[in-house]
Amino acid sequence: MDIFIGLATVLSSPALLGWIVSAAVVGMVVGAVPGLTASAAIAMLLPVTFYMDPLAALAFLYVIGKSGRYGGSIAAILFNTPGTAASAATQIDGYPLSQRGLSSKAMKVATVSSVIGDFTGEILLILGVGIIAAIALTLGPPELFAVYFAAFVVIGSVIGKSVVKGLASAALGVLIKMVGTDPISAAERYTFGSYELINGIGLVPLMIGMFVLAEVLSQMETRGAKIEKFDEPDSAEAKARNRLSWAEYKPCIPHVIRSSFIGAFIGMLPGLGSAIAAFVAYGEGKRRAKNPDEWGKGALEGIAAPEAANNAVSGPSMAPLLTLGIPGSTIGAILVGVFLIHGIQIGPTLFLTSRELVYSLFAAGLIGIAAYGLVGYFGASFVGRFIIKIPTDILYPMIFLTSFIAAYASRGSLFDVWVMVAAGVLGWLMKKLEFNPAAFVIAFVLAGGAEETFRQSLLLSDNGLLIFVTRPVALGFLLLGVLTVFIRARSLHREARAQALGDT
Amino acid sequence: MDRRTFLQTTSLAGIAVAFSSQAMAEWKPRRPLNIIVPYKAGGGTDAYARAISAAAADRLPVPVVVVNKPGASGMTGAIAAASSKPDGNTIMLHSTGSFLLGSMLRDTKVGPFDGFKMIAQVGNLKACIAVPAGSPFKSVQDLVDAAKAAPGKLRWAHTGKGSTYHVSGQTFLNGLGLKAVDVPFKGGSAVRAAVLGEQVDFAVLGVQQGRGFEEKMHRLAVLADARDELAPDVPTFAELGFDIPIVSSPIIVYAPNGVDPEIISGIEAALAEIVAAPEFAKLVNTKGTLPLYRTGADAETAVRAMRESVTPVINALKGN
Repeated sequence: MDIFIGLATVLSSPALLGWIVSAAVVGMVVGAVPGLTASAAIAMLLPVTFYMDPLAALAFLYVIGKSGRYGGSIAAILFNTPGTAASAATQIDGYPLSQRGLSSKAMKVATVSSVIGDFTGEILLILGVGIIAAIALTLGPPELFAVYFAAFVVIGSVIGKSVVKGLASAALGVLIKMVGTDPISAAERYTFGSYELINGIGLVPLMIGMFVLAEVLSQMETRGAKIEKFDEPDSAEAKARNRLSWAEYKPCIPHVIRSSFIGAFIGMLPGLGSAIAAFVAYGEGKRRAKNPDEWGKGALEGIAAPEAANNAVSGPSMAPLLTLGIPGSTIGAILVGVFLIHGIQIGPTLFLTSRELVYSLFAAGLIGIAAYGLVGYFGASFVGRFIIKIPTDILYPMIFLTSFIAAYASRGSLFDVWVMVAAGVLGWLMKKLEFNPAAFVIAFVLAGGAEETFRQSLLLSDNGLLIFVTRPVALGFLLLGVLTVFIRARSLHREARAQALGDT
Repeated sequence: MDRRTFLQTTSLAGIAVAFSSQAMAEWKPRRPLNIIVPYKAGGGTDAYARAISAAAADRLPVPVVVVNKPGASGMTGAIAAASSKPDGNTIMLHSTGSFLLGSMLRDTKVGPFDGFKMIAQVGNLKACIAVPAGSPFKSVQDLVDAAKAAPGKLRWAHTGKGSTYHVSGQTFLNGLGLKAVDVPFKGGSAVRAAVLGEQVDFAVLGVQQGRGFEEKMHRLAVLADARDELAPDVPTFAELGFDIPIVSSPIIVYAPNGVDPEIISGIEAALAEIVAAPEFAKLVNTKGTLPLYRTGADAETAVRAMRESVTPVINALKGN
């Protein structure tokens, strides 16, 4: 069992353990800061790792990727601002809990679920790296499109009262995503001759504007009004309320297990990534939930499902990366660079030439999960309590400034700051007029990849749309999407009828 | 390193040292030299800049700092470099295939001949044509025959419309009067994945992408004057009897217009020495690529020739 040798290697090296623990902390922090994503942090820290021993360098970056995906949930829960796109689904239920003074509990659920999801993914990777790679190879653009399609359905779950306004918000998200270069013909769309727009609108400034700045603007508007005040966060009562009991977590378990496998499967598919996994898991979780009405209003299961899924992506995405050189995410693409810089050739021969290194890396992953789990479980709830203690008239100006810095920092571009401001005003208006910013952002995240894979599929197909029917995995995901829409429509219909009956 | 490369490197280094001691006398950098790379850290072009930086450590009195400015397919960084102060402290390293084609396809503010002076070439990215290991096509001829038998039926992957590899592939098809459906993917590894998974019939991608995948992906021919030293089994198109204009992506170091010619020749001489250094070769080899030194003037001639040969393909692309 190579993994035990790997564990022994890692555990017997204090320096390596030090790197893993610091990666867990660094990842959490960058993940939690909106605008600083784990992949940006890895790109920034990459030059440092040139001078490190290969295993330490890879373990450091690999664990940052893992804990960064988890760290995103902290900001999502506390400020309604996903620290990374992967935690955009977490805020749907995380923020309502925070508003009720239950942020620590929400973060504990996020931590436990992330750890379970991450361990599931990592263990699947260790047991089946060869099989996963073989499966990944058979999946092409049609399968990827089908998964995007299934993920789109989650928009239905975030749409609240007004279906029309929700759909309009999603359509606007798709439209804004169209700005930039056409993925197939490379023609410019909606760029109006500006070279800043050739790359399209950046996700990071858009998210910061939509969620952070818009939130600050809404708070400004209600200034003077009495701010919802939670009882003294240090009081014994508040502490007791934020304690997470087994009875509370038990209903989350089936969601965590299902989402872990959804996440692990999506991890195998190159290029989809954690955000898509979180959306699919949330949509599927809500469909199967016993209490779908509570989802979106602060259900613990609504945090558990996406958090387990977005971390379960991490392990299995390493299989196509290591054996086929297909990076499943930005983080993966950078890791390929690290392998090459240290002279390790990625590809089918990797397990012959560097077997020990690879299993040591997987072992480092396992230890890294435990590290961020422990730091997160005890640390994040402390952060949560601490933040709540800061008066809002100090906290919001700070957040306001941070949003400008974060928008600028992600690419060092002043244009992104303008995008952030515009998105902020748009987000504030949308909230005011009861449109749906979450649906907007989800549509924005999914539209690009969906368009690209859809058009690639059609180019690959001899019979037009039939390519989706003739490939079983693609067909499966498409049916899942259609089924979810159908069930959701029926339940809406039933609710409407029940209401109508109640009125008479 | 085989004997021939060793001899080449050593003799080049000898010449470079002789040159540099003279030319570098006029170039006395006092501040760090910034190299703008218009791509993200960790990519193939970035590797060249990092290798220059590493090899310069013992050879230049100042550090060489790599500044990544990605965006708009390399245009953001190029515009930033062109508008930087022409004091010789800021230069740019660009993958010139995409830079040239980008400036021809779009109405851009800058291009390889527009806003810049070429200092020297430090490497070259070559295209190859590849098929899945299980493909019925065992040679370029097989592929050509199949494409002739069923025009517009074969599907091929490339790294994006207007990219170096797309234009090289289209040049190959046009040259032989063939028709096939092109499917753009994002980047070299996605194209390679499409080949490995047999999603497409063939692909045109960087020859370096095939390294380590020899069992699963067969490279049928490389589009270059000579075989790639890291892929000695792959023949050139010319060897196989196909006369195809060569479209590649030379890695060139540029100075913004207005930099003192003495500084330029000083940096040129320093680059000649750096490219010949063994640690430079070692670092770029990890990416499956090779060092290739050309003076600024020679690089310019080569890029002008390439511009000539791709003009018909570019015009056709612009037309649709």
